Order: sequence, then structure tokens, then C-alpha cells
Amino acid sequence: MSVLEHPAEHRTRRRRGALLANLRTGLRRNWLALLGIVIIFVVLTAAATSVVWTPYPVGLQGLGVPYAGPSLAHPFGLDHAGRDLLSRVMGGAAIAMVVGVGTSLLTAVVGILLGMLAGFYRGWVDTVVSTIISIWYGIPDLLVALLFVVFLGRGLQNIIIAITLTRWMEMARLVRGQTLSLRERDYVEAARAAGTRDRNLVLRHILPNAAGPIIVQATYLLPQAILFEAFLSYLGLGVRPPAPSWGTMAADGFRAIQFAPHTVLAPAIAISLTLLAFNWVGDGLRDAFDPRMRQQ
Amino acid sequence: MVTYAIRRTLLVVFGAIVVSSAVFIGVRQLPGNAFLSDRVSPSQAEELIHYYHLDEPWPRQYVRWIGGLFQGDLGESFVYRGQSVLTLLAPKIRVSLGLGAAALSVTVVVGLSLGLVAGIRQNQWIDYTASTAAVVSYSLPNFFIATLLVLLTSTALYRLTHGAFYYEIGWGQLSQIPVPAIALGLPYSGIVARQMRAGIIDELRQDYVRTAWSKGLSESAVVLRHVMRNALIPVVTILGPVATTILTGGLVVENIFGIPGLGREFINSILTRDYNMTVAIFTLYSLFVGVVNVSIDLLYPVLDPKIRL
Repeated sequence: MSVLEHPAEHRTRRRRGALLANLRTGLRRNWLALLGIVIIFVVLTAAATSVVWTPYPVGLQGLGVPYAGPSLAHPFGLDHAGRDLLSRVMGGAAIAMVVGVGTSLLTAVVGILLGMLAGFYRGWVDTVVSTIISIWYGIPDLLVALLFVVFLGRGLQNIIIAITLTRWMEMARLVRGQTLSLRERDYVEAARAAGTRDRNLVLRHILPNAAGPIIVQATYLLPQAILFEAFLSYLGLGVRPPAPSWGTMAADGFRAIQFAPHTVLAPAIAISLTLLAFNWVGDGLRDAFDPRMRQQ
Repeated sequence: MVTYAIRRTLLVVFGAIVVSSAVFIGVRQLPGNAFLSDRVSPSQAEELIHYYHLDEPWPRQYVRWIGGLFQGDLGESFVYRGQSVLTLLAPKIRVSLGLGAAALSVTVVVGLSLGLVAGIRQNQWIDYTASTAAVVSYSLPNFFIATLLVLLTSTALYRLTHGAFYYEIGWGQLSQIPVPAIALGLPYSGIVARQMRAGIIDELRQDYVRTAWSKGLSESAVVLRHVMRNALIPVVTILGPVATTILTGGLVVENIFGIPGLGREFINSILTRDYNMTVAIFTLYSLFVGVVNVSIDLLYPVLDPKIRL
């Protein structure tokens, strides 16, 4: 390896430091983002706790009168089968988090891979990827996901793949644009002149500098994925019951809206708060990474 | 521009045919068929399977389907036997498109007003309120908004509505449209508002705006005649995906309110294995989404004559 690579690498590391510093000051100024982080922390804790402990077993029926309202023993009340709604909302948090994080990561991998290929090699690779992206945008997403889940079964991993299938384009387009602009920078040129291989150019010089927008996009994707799973479950084609998906619970509760509104409100408020929190954090991250937005 | 429109439309049609073909082949790999019912004897089922050519290998079925497609024939329904899928779907298309259009109007009107107010009063309390309302709106799933609206209309606003929205009493009265349309359209108004606000703020700092002010124009003239038009360009960029999401989101809302549209029929058709119906609805949705996207892209040159397509 040549001498030239060291200063370039050093610069990358310093920029990464600056990125973190920006992030810290940016987030501190934005109390909505902080509130979002607190809510996400609560949801994550509930999700993690539900794996080992819930107030009542998630699937245990007949704990009391069906549709019983909130009480001390059951703070969120009971559902149509007399199951404890607090326990089920906690279990739902785990499902939502797995779907959200899983989709976010998978989309990032697919999007980065395709976007980098298109942006870095340009030419026919770019033409192919870009055409696929523009055709894919014209596909009705919810319908594709529904069919996919019906074809391959309603497991969690299939739902994650189905949502990724409808959401990878934004990430790919973003990464492609970033790569197109970053590959022309002087430090990339310098590294290339020093004989750095393509793989290292991409991994050490381009990807770290595109990290900011990618992280922001991945953060926005998380609530979208959670919402999407809730839609699928609401339609009865998401995670198989009796698994406590928020969407399934809301659909069940909607039927009892006239006399037991708590059964629909509990999961609906849980999902709305979670989405709100992630969107706030996403906005905060975007402002932190993009100084132009911060000045506004 | 005409060539552009034609090229894009052709791409839409091509894309719709490609994905519909994938769905056509895919549904045939599903277990079960449409004729597994107590009311159909095994010999009748066999007859029906033969009648609908389901006993042939799928490549031959596919060739037949593609041939029909180019003649505007999407086949017969397996469940409503003997009736053409398109005849069955015609009234549902009207319902779904009507709901979608109403919802998109809600999105655009609410979104643009929120964004406009927030943008011209940047960093004042009204901006904070409008911006927060925007984030909240797109964090609420449409079934939650539907829930709140139903609770509201069945209690506080009962006098106005008589609860006419959420019972399955048929569809067709004008009074039934607003509640589902708000439930469907409101979540996305936040996205439009955010884009509009950013656009307004960007444009207000431009030189031509200072010129307009210095000519002594009133605020409404500056904002509505000069700023608005340019600020709309970034809004149009996201309008395509938003319209797509609203059209397909209709699937959920139609199920909530029991609206007899395409979305409900789509889910039913999957569950009853009515393949021709599934594929037809999918094709229609792809075409609608594509056409909406193309028409929205054609708005660019209207807003900005410098943009040539």
C-alpha cells in the first residue's frame, strides 16, 4: 500500500469525528428528537422485556370479562378473548421492532449494493438499475407485498422481505446519487491514483462519506416498515394470530369500537407514538447531518 | 413533451404487463383453487377447471391471457361464473377512483395550506404548530384516524352525520365520502406540508422575491403570484409517490369502512383464488398508479417553463 493512502484515511477518520460531534450538538438542540429517543427507549425496553416477561401470558384467554375496560389489574383493559391488552401491546412492540429494524437493515444492504454499483460503475449497470428503479416505482406497493406474503407464507422474515421489496428503491436512488457525486471528489481521485482497488475505494472512501444520508433514510424507513406491517396485519394478512401484532389488535378492536373503544385505542396509540418518535428522531438526524437545514 | 408523454405511457403499459405477468404466473403456484366448495361436486369442479383451462400448463394459459389482454379481455371471474371480470369491476373502479381523488384533494388542500402558513411565518408559533401537526399527521396510521373519526362522528357529531359512514349500507351517497377520504388522505398531507414549507422558505430568500417586495407588492401578491409557483415544484416531486400510496392505501380504508371498491375485491379474490380477478385488479392498479405518475410529471413544465421534458 502506498504512502498516499494514509493522509486520505486520516481525513476520513477526522470527518467521522466531526459527524459525531455534529450529531451530538444537533440532537441536543432539538428537544423533539430527544423526546423521540426517550419514547423509542421505552418501546425498546417494553419489547425486550416482553421476550422474557409480560404481566400476563400474551396469549392467555379468559382473564376476565371480555372487553373489560382499563382497571388496576389490567391497565389497558381486556380484548375480545379476555386477553390482557398491556401484555399484548408489549408483545406487539417486539414484533414491530423486529420488522422495523429488520426491514431497515435489509433495505440498507440492498439499496447500498445496487446504488453503489450503479453510481460507481455507471454505464450500462447504471442504465439497468435506474430503469428497474423507475419501473418499480410504478408498482402498487401494498398489493405486491400482500401477494408476496400470500405466496410465501406469513412468517416474520417473509413480511420483512415483502416490505423491503417495496421500499428499496428510495435507498438505492439516494446511494446512487451520493456515489455519483463522491466518486468525483479529489480524495477519491488521489486514492485511485495511489492504486487503491475498487472495493477499498468504495468501502473506505465513498461509503463512510455517504453514511449520513443513509442513516437518515434508514431511520425514516423504520416507521414506514412498522406501519406497513400494521397494514398487512390489519387486513388479516400479516403475522399469523394469535401473535400480538398491533395491526391485528387494532383490526380486532375496530369491530368493538362502539362499546369497547379501548381495544382499538391501545394498539393504535402505541403504534402512533412509536411512528411519531421515529419520525422526530429522523428529522433531528437530518437536521444534524445537514447544516443547511439547521440554519433554516 | 408529447413524445415524452407517449414514451412514459408506453413504459407504464410495459411495466404493468410485466408485473401482471409475474402475478399471473405466481397465483397459479398457490395451493388450492376456486372450486373447493361444498356446493361443487368433484366432477363439476373438474369440469370447471377444464372450462377455465386451469388444467393446461401455465405457459399455454399465459399465452391465451396475453392474447386476450391485447383485445381488452381479462377473462371471466371464477367465483361469479360466466361474468367478465371487467364488467364486474367497472362499478368498483368508479368507487375506488372516486375515493382516491377525494382523498388526494384532502391531502393537497390540507398539506399546501399547512405548509404555506408554516413557511411564510417561519419560526413563529404558527409554524411550530403547523409543523408539529404535519409530523403528527403522517405518524398516524389511517386506521387510527378512521377510528377517531368514527368515534367523533358517532358521538359528538352524530347530529351532523347520523353515523352514515361506517355501516355497510351500500355506497353511492355523497355524504359517505368525506370520512373515509379524510382517513385516507390526511396522513399524507403532513408530507406535502413539509415539502411545501421547505420550498416556501427556500424561495423567500431568492433575489426575485426581494425585487417583488421592493416594487411595493402586497404580501399576498408576492407569495401567491411569485413564491407559490416556484415552491410548488418540490411538492410535485413527492406528489407522485404520495398519490401512489393513497391509491393503494385505499385497500385498507375500503376494508375499514366496508366500501365496495377494488381493494376489498382484491383481497377477496386472493382468498377465493379467483385468479383472473386478482390479476385484473393488479393490472388496473398498476395502470392507475402509472398514469397518475405520468400526469403528475407533466405538471413540471406547467409550473416551470424552463423544464423541458
